[in-house]
Amino acid sequence: MEIVITEYKHCDLLEITGRIDSYTSPIIEEALDSLLADGHFNIVIDLKNVSYLSSSGMLTLINAQKQCKQHNGGEILLANVSERVLSSLELAGFNQLFELYDDVAMAVGKF
Amino acid sequence: MVTRSFPGNFRSLAPISNFIVTQAEEAGFSPNDIYAIQTAVDEACANIIDHAYGGENIGTIEINVKEIKNGLQIILRDEGEPFAPDEVPEPDINCPLEIRKERGLGIFFIRKLMDKVVFGFSNTKGNTLTLEKYKGN
Repeated sequence: MEIVITEYKHCDLLEITGRIDSYTSPIIEEALDSLLADGHFNIVIDLKNVSYLSSSGMLTLINAQKQCKQHNGGEILLANVSERVLSSLELAGFNQLFELYDDVAMAVGKF
Repeated sequence: MVTRSFPGNFRSLAPISNFIVTQAEEAGFSPNDIYAIQTAVDEACANIIDHAYGGENIGTIEINVKEIKNGLQIILRDEGEPFAPDEVPEPDINCPLEIRKERGLGIFFIRKLMDKVVFGFSNTKGNTLTLEKYKGN
């Protein structure tokens, strides 16, 4: 699993590659915690190259979303969610908790 | 029937998924069903490590895969603490973000994604979780 963080003027982009499961979600949590600690609450997560998302990965995203939304206008947006990952998010009802975008540029442009 | 044993740690989750995906592909499941089976087994194994063993590297996870009529049977065995699925409340997926409790999501996924789920415990052999998925369901 790999994470690349790109800083834009009004938000940060996290590009994740690989599986997000109980082994890798702590790495994502650490990356998100680091952004939040630096006061970055506008975040786009690109899931284009994520082959699998477990419930522990979803909880990591949810916990970060809760923290972002506590700050005025802060939010995590998800881009390029595959059909299968979306079906898992829908099963858990988490799709309602994130705005979903078909491409990164649109999501970044939201901020 | 194919049996594999994996160390009970989170690093095992990727090789376990590879093993399960290969078995489900060979059994002729659709890509969506394969993803569902992969999810159910991954969540079950994470639960074994987290709850039955109470941590990593305490014991092993044995996985038995067998083709059955129109489907696949997967049996997961561990030697951890007894698991009581009825004590895990079903998550309220319509609850607002601020107050949502997330416990039980793994079991919820397993029950939703598989066609048959049987939890068993023996004081000599530990926990046995039997999962079945049928093609076209």
